[in-house]
Amino acid sequence: MENFTSTYLHTYKQGDYTMKNMSIEATKYTPSIEFDATSRVLSITGKSYPENTFEFYTPITEWIKEFLTKFSEDTILLNLDLEYLNSSSLKAYFDLFDLLEGASLKGASIKIKWLYDEENDIAEETGEDFIEDFKDLDIELVVK
Amino acid sequence: MNISKIREIMAQEGIVFSFSGMISQQLTSFMVETAKSQLEDMGENAKMTRNMFLIAIEQLQNVMSYSKEKDIHHGNRYTSPGVLVIGFDETKHKFYITSSNEVVAEDQEKVSAKIDAINAIPKENLRKFLREKLRSAEDLHHRGAGVGFIEMAKRSSEKLKYDFEMVDGKLYFHILTYI
Repeated sequence: MENFTSTYLHTYKQGDYTMKNMSIEATKYTPSIEFDATSRVLSITGKSYPENTFEFYTPITEWIKEFLTKFSEDTILLNLDLEYLNSSSLKAYFDLFDLLEGASLKGASIKIKWLYDEENDIAEETGEDFIEDFKDLDIELVVK
Repeated sequence: MNISKIREIMAQEGIVFSFSGMISQQLTSFMVETAKSQLEDMGENAKMTRNMFLIAIEQLQNVMSYSKEKDIHHGNRYTSPGVLVIGFDETKHKFYITSSNEVVAEDQEKVSAKIDAINAIPKENLRKFLREKLRSAEDLHHRGAGVGFIEMAKRSSEKLKYDFEMVDGKLYFHILTYI
């Protein structure tokens, strides 16, 4: 069923703040989430076409918001490797990029890598759309 | 029951995949993955199968979200009765994806206006139109961004074909897309 297995294994501590890593296993229609607070590498990998997209992405966005509030001075690397996105997932990523762009304009250092297979034109186009729509974000298209 | 009649229709319409029954997210995933493997086995190119995959997802998720009859389960999960057919049109030499589900009368005007507006937009502008809609979130609802038809139109080689049909007092919505 649609029970997303989420585990918080390690805790990252810096100054007065702590942050737990986030790890969610992939399903047939949701990507895996690996957010490492220590290395500041956040990876989302797989297919994304759940029916309850916002329920799936809300905790993920909340984690990123919290991280940006607590550790705004650290550079974050976001690796996005998404083979398929349904239209509601596309919306979730537009919202996430909005959030990241806002943080970036306030001084946060965020690097985004948009990874795709060479023959996946759709994923490439989606990456290009994000670059065009979020000019204040550092987004790099990377062929896997 | 005459199964050979069904086989005959399937052959006539070039059907490679069909389903009629309660559509759930689990089944959606199973159907699109199966249809994708089938098309790959038939030697279809990756771009075609990706387009098919994405259009079928949007159609099936629309059936789940907008059907008149639906079972709503814990955690905002729906299952709804509908029909999905994927086939090859010999005349057009194109694959098609079509679906049908019962809708409420109030949806007819709303859905027609929405699809007509999308069909009036030249294909090369759909990419930008979708992004504007995603940003404005004007069609946002609790299960989606309300942009599924735009996504279907982007992935189709023709305008979206649709109709509403009244059968035995029930109103059905049909949508047909060619890749």
